[in-house]
Amino acid sequence: MSEDYEVEFIDRDERDARFVVRDITPAFANGIRRAIVSDVPTLSIDTVRVIENSSVMFDEQISLRLGLVPLTTPDDYDVGETATLALDVEGPDTAYSGDLVSADDRVEPADDNIPIIDLKYPEGADSPQRLEIEAEAVMDHGKSHAKHQGGVAVGYRHLQRIEVVGDAADWEDEPNILRGVIEDDGELVPTESFDHDLSKRYPGKEVEVHDVPNAFVFSIESDGSLPVSDLVLNAVDSLADRADELEQAVQL
Amino acid sequence: MSYKCSRCKRDVELDEYGGVRCPYCGHRVLLKERSRDIKEIDVH
Repeated sequence: MSEDYEVEFIDRDERDARFVVRDITPAFANGIRRAIVSDVPTLSIDTVRVIENSSVMFDEQISLRLGLVPLTTPDDYDVGETATLALDVEGPDTAYSGDLVSADDRVEPADDNIPIIDLKYPEGADSPQRLEIEAEAVMDHGKSHAKHQGGVAVGYRHLQRIEVVGDAADWEDEPNILRGVIEDDGELVPTESFDHDLSKRYPGKEVEVHDVPNAFVFSIESDGSLPVSDLVLNAVDSLADRADELEQAVQL
Repeated sequence: MSYKCSRCKRDVELDEYGGVRCPYCGHRVLLKERSRDIKEIDVH
């Protein structure tokens, strides 16, 4: 295996990305996937102090919902470090993740529109329902709890190439569905561009689909706590650190 | 332990002799008041 890997982006966004990595083994590709899911630490609410909760949901249910709100994670936080957030909403209103106020401006909900609880002003009640909490978000890994997973949809599949083997028979007009990315004359073509139907890209042709050896298309979606690029780089760094650790241990 | 009568909404203190009954209106449905203590919950 070579030291440098060839990486080519197909789609690139803050929240999701798709790229091809060549000259890696399936085991290494899976190592990257697993590192993205479980080895990149992110901030998530871990302790909730309920000051007032006159809503219809138990404190524990609301706390679990708060724990699953993705929070933006600054670079300089280490594992175990905390950030304090607060929420104070009175009915009739819906408490959203965007109502969380943070002591650190850089730590905020990645999405503002996640509903926490619908608060009412019940008929005949003296006062409206109210939720007031303080919460501590802690930096931890995805392997300790799923709420710390920065990558929510992380997968890979082989890059594929198409070989035209002849002409299709006249009566064969069935769609030939393929999902992913194909390599055609050195060019990467997402299958969305031809509606995932090979018979549209190669009309009247009989084709065979082959995996390109040691080339993988990664598809990664972040929950917003980290940009996809940071997620991948941090995952690869963690793999390198673990490899160094193993090397040191073996030498002893 | 502090309760509130569900009918007359008055605060009611329960003792072991009086039974579960509002001393003001006699209603038997009492709602337990939430403690004013701050409750800490670990989200695991």
